Amino acid sequence: MTDKDQLPALKAGNKTQFSILVRDHHHALVALAIPIVGFSEAEEVVQIAWIKAYKAIASFEGKSKIRTWLSRIVINEAKMQLRARKKETLFSDLAGDGSDSDALADRFTQTGHWATPPATWHYDSPEALLMSDDLAQCLDRILTAMPNNQRAILEMRDSSELPFGEICNNLSISASNARVLLHRARAHLFKLVDHYQETGEC
Amino acid sequence: MLKCREVVDEADQFLSDDLPRHRQWRFRFHLLICKHCSRYVHQFQALKDATSFMHRKASDEEISRIMDSIDD
Repeated sequence: MTDKDQLPALKAGNKTQFSILVRDHHHALVALAIPIVGFSEAEEVVQIAWIKAYKAIASFEGKSKIRTWLSRIVINEAKMQLRARKKETLFSDLAGDGSDSDALADRFTQTGHWATPPATWHYDSPEALLMSDDLAQCLDRILTAMPNNQRAILEMRDSSELPFGEICNNLSISASNARVLLHRARAHLFKLVDHYQETGEC
Repeated sequence: MLKCREVVDEADQFLSDDLPRHRQWRFRFHLLICKHCSRYVHQFQALKDATSFMHRKASDEEISRIMDSIDD
């Protein structure tokens, strides 16, 4: 069901429809909150965000995807929690480009040509590409091990589909820095999926 | 002549239509002559499209917990 199909019932306060929204987006929102407030507080932040979203959804105009709208509520709530606890924001830790190198660097020769070209991937749809149970566990491991700043940008851009400029504002980083971080995050995922597609293992 | 390494670095900008025109042509030409990079760019786009689906659906218990907190 598309966002457009869901919206009338959601705006009318239909709780069954809202529970479908929770089912589809809760884990993505927790994953978004983790690099901002940390693992232990992410669930609580998202729980509060859901309450606020339920109260506000009647005024949602549908100009963005629902996931994007929910993500903005989570990010605002996460910022408020950090301020309330008088924490130096984790956002400040997110600003640097870190020392992590490009995960695909070892796939190239010194002259810049492929030494190990990508495997041919087999998948029925984008939804199916990352959905296998085996891969899901490896994906969790990769995301957990990923530097905070890379994970934050990956979740904000590719999962929440926030505009690039908004992400740079949220994280107080330059567009060029954000591009480097996003590139590195995606390279980690590409390497994982490529290896899984080639070997069936990860 | 564009190197494969540069194709990987510029793939996102290419797919977002964000490369200056001359670099876009250079990129397109490289894809015509390099099957590895052509495959990379195609699969990179698929991965980008897949990322919004990478998170599992919430369990019934998780949904109940959230819905209960809304009812409170």
